[in-house]
Amino acid sequence: MSSGLSVDAVDGPGGEEKPPEDPEAPQQLAGRSPTRIALGRLARDKVAVVGTVVLLILVVLAIMAPLICDWWNIYPDQKDPNAPTPSQMLDGNQLPSFGPPQYPFTWDHPLGIEPQSGRDNLALLLYGLRTSLTVALLATVFSTVVGVTLGLLAGYAKGAVDAVLSFVIDFFLSFPFILGALALAPIITSRFGGDQDTLRRAELLSLVGILVLFGWMGLARLIRGQVLSLREREFVQAAQVIGVPTWQILFKELLPNLVAPIVVAISLSIPAYVAAEAGLSFLGIGLTESPSLGKTVNSAVNYFERYPLYLWTPVVTIMIMVIALNLVGDSIRDAFDPKTRR
Amino acid sequence: MRLKQPIIAIAAVSAFTLAACGGDESGSGTGSGNDDQPDTSEGGNTGQTQDPDREGPVTIDGATEGGTVTVISTSGLNTMDPTEAYYQNTTSILTGLVTRAWTQYAYDEENNTMVLVPDLATDLGRPNDDFTEWTFTLRDGITYEDGTPVEPEDFVFSAARSFDREAFPEGPAFSNDYFLGGDTYKGPYTGNGLKGFEAVTVDGMDVTYKMATPFPDMLYWASFAAMGPIQEGAASDPEKYRLKPLATGPYKFGKYVPEKSLELVRNPEWDPATDPARTAYPDKYEFDLQVEEAQLNQILLEDSAEDQATLTYDDVLAVNFDQFKADGRAAVGSFPLTSFWAPDYTKITDIKIRQALAYAYPYEDADLAGGYIEGVTSLPGAQLLPPGTAGRKDFNPLPDHEPGSTDTDAAMALLEEADAVGYEVKFLYTKDSDSGVKVKDAIVASLTKAGFSPKPVPTTIADFSTLRADPDTDINVRSGGWIADWPSGGSWFPPLLKSTDVEAGILGANYSKFNEPDMDAEMKRIQTLPVDEQADAWGELDDTIMTDYFPLFVTRYGGVAQAYGSAIEGHFIDNTIGMPTWKNIWVNS
Repeated sequence: MSSGLSVDAVDGPGGEEKPPEDPEAPQQLAGRSPTRIALGRLARDKVAVVGTVVLLILVVLAIMAPLICDWWNIYPDQKDPNAPTPSQMLDGNQLPSFGPPQYPFTWDHPLGIEPQSGRDNLALLLYGLRTSLTVALLATVFSTVVGVTLGLLAGYAKGAVDAVLSFVIDFFLSFPFILGALALAPIITSRFGGDQDTLRRAELLSLVGILVLFGWMGLARLIRGQVLSLREREFVQAAQVIGVPTWQILFKELLPNLVAPIVVAISLSIPAYVAAEAGLSFLGIGLTESPSLGKTVNSAVNYFERYPLYLWTPVVTIMIMVIALNLVGDSIRDAFDPKTRR
Repeated sequence: MRLKQPIIAIAAVSAFTLAACGGDESGSGTGSGNDDQPDTSEGGNTGQTQDPDREGPVTIDGATEGGTVTVISTSGLNTMDPTEAYYQNTTSILTGLVTRAWTQYAYDEENNTMVLVPDLATDLGRPNDDFTEWTFTLRDGITYEDGTPVEPEDFVFSAARSFDREAFPEGPAFSNDYFLGGDTYKGPYTGNGLKGFEAVTVDGMDVTYKMATPFPDMLYWASFAAMGPIQEGAASDPEKYRLKPLATGPYKFGKYVPEKSLELVRNPEWDPATDPARTAYPDKYEFDLQVEEAQLNQILLEDSAEDQATLTYDDVLAVNFDQFKADGRAAVGSFPLTSFWAPDYTKITDIKIRQALAYAYPYEDADLAGGYIEGVTSLPGAQLLPPGTAGRKDFNPLPDHEPGSTDTDAAMALLEEADAVGYEVKFLYTKDSDSGVKVKDAIVASLTKAGFSPKPVPTTIADFSTLRADPDTDINVRSGGWIADWPSGGSWFPPLLKSTDVEAGILGANYSKFNEPDMDAEMKRIQTLPVDEQADAWGELDDTIMTDYFPLFVTRYGGVAQAYGSAIEGHFIDNTIGMPTWKNIWVNS
């Protein structure tokens, strides 16, 4: 789940780390936990701050989507009886009857209107953001829980359990993700999709399920490796000797030492999931009933020549969101891991 | 007749759910202008136009020889075996360019219609008095691409071949339905060669077809590639023959990669003097298939120097249609397709509710959502018989309803009258097709406004037709579309509205489960009428059924909007099938 993005360019040598100039530094050094140190470093990292602000704006927009749409009087679907019909919003050539590209800009529909359905692009964007972030967050939470638990078990248990779990991890790692998603998604939705509302929920959960199914192995491997080395340390051996239960050793002794790698893995997996959701929906195996940025990109391709705004809106939004998430993720990794600091 | 390709066909059927007509004329302003609108009164108008005396060769004034025509399309070619070709693209490419049959269609530029003219026969066939025997006479000097002469016996073999439903499950089954022995003879591959095949006899150059039931439309069936000559020796293995059918027409197969590409090169054995309709100006045709829709539109829009001799038989995107029309590079026309919504006659028993549905259906919105071009690829209508069918009667089963317009207030009033406000309407939609979902949304919105409770049932493109054909599926409205093989009422009413044995799980194409013994008897009576009275009787039956029973309502008639590069000349629309007039195409260099 590594982003592959480097912060070299933005965080040059001798960046913001100038402790000698900070008069208060000596007094505080004594009582700070590693997490607080990392947070302090983050707060001084301009890239991280900018990225976080961008993300906060996007999250607030997503959360406020229903309010904004209400206030703006726009609708993401046609279920609302007040929502306009396609023929009220579109000309016969599928282009909007209001605003670009055929008519002057209007604040009623600042990002334009979707061809074919006549829905407002801003409403689709806001609800698409909501979908993206929901899917990414759910997938991250579940894959972290699964990855950490199995990683801890595999690392701490010796012999057969470790061998089996390691084999399962390798098995899932070697399984092609797109192929699995292509095969699984229709099966799951046709199995559970009775009516529209059930279908919407089934699609969302099956998408999260597929992302989790193919997304937990990286973290599990990382955790297993860490546990392998921690297991032989004195504090663990001491706990074993005085008879502390295994689950307590795992979750009370080992887990707190793994906070840093977990936080880093989470921060880098969210953008990957956002991109994966958009990608799968673009391929038509993601969501069909809920608005999705990837789905909008897919429909907009046919209209790029005459109506570029329709395609640019979701593409730029996905780009901004993924870049911001990646930059913040990289900064978090730098802050938590002293070895990568410059 | 089927649409271009299995998957596309099903997708289009899903669009049928969905498809609708665009209301009264140019309602929405700037859209597609109407000066190019196909003349609906002439669509598919081949019924009355025949010319048994036309002779070759054909020349086009000013046309020059040479050049390569590139044809691009999103769909592949299903099968190119002449006996099994039954999709729009396979049928029209084979009969237009590669294989000849007894009769064929020629394009009449003046009237923008198709004329049935002889092909390998010297006339349009000679029936006996009750149409149970048809005799065609083969022209002299016809040869296959390898130089061997076409023998009258080859027509016996091709007719026998067209009986073989097991070897050619997707082919048209008219031989089985009408020819002598259709219920006993199984075909040369499934059965024992030609043993027991008695439907066709040869006398010198005369070939005589014997029918089990009167078949006045045989001259149309004789234009299908399946009725052309097929050599028994060359076609002994159908698996091989479908990769390279022997050409009798102006072009023969070059390199052919099934579903992907096809190259047609000149057939020097074809003699233009024997052919009353075909010309062969281009040196070569290259079919490039399974091209992405956006890319296809882009190639044609750009019209760059190396792509000027390119054409497509797919509909262009609605958003680009204005541009093609402004450039004068759009080919528009209609073809005999009727799309309809069929309420389940056994479940929605109150005619008022069925009529309310026709008022409530969002014709214009569904057009937009499905990507149709109002007035071009979607035309409004009220009769089951599309424009151009012989005997079609002008009537409106709902006198207060302007075809193609939505009136939710009238629908609401009818529902209240029937005491059925909140009536549940369950219909299928394909959730994996983007436009399928959008059309579903439009329908739900409009039906809700009219006082129905729509309950769309999600399915996939792959499962759609299976679910629709199952009488037990938990839905009460089915969407369908029907393309006529020839312009006669006989190819519409029996398959679509004759009672079927629903108890036994057989629905056929009777999507409304229409079941009225009186009407069955009437259809039977019409089929035994003298031929010249049949056409009007079908038109009358259309009126009776639609007005008295209203088992279905028309959502749109079909049209096409194709495009071609600036070097292509002669790309008109064959309105019997909605494909280019291959026989008229040449390259302007």
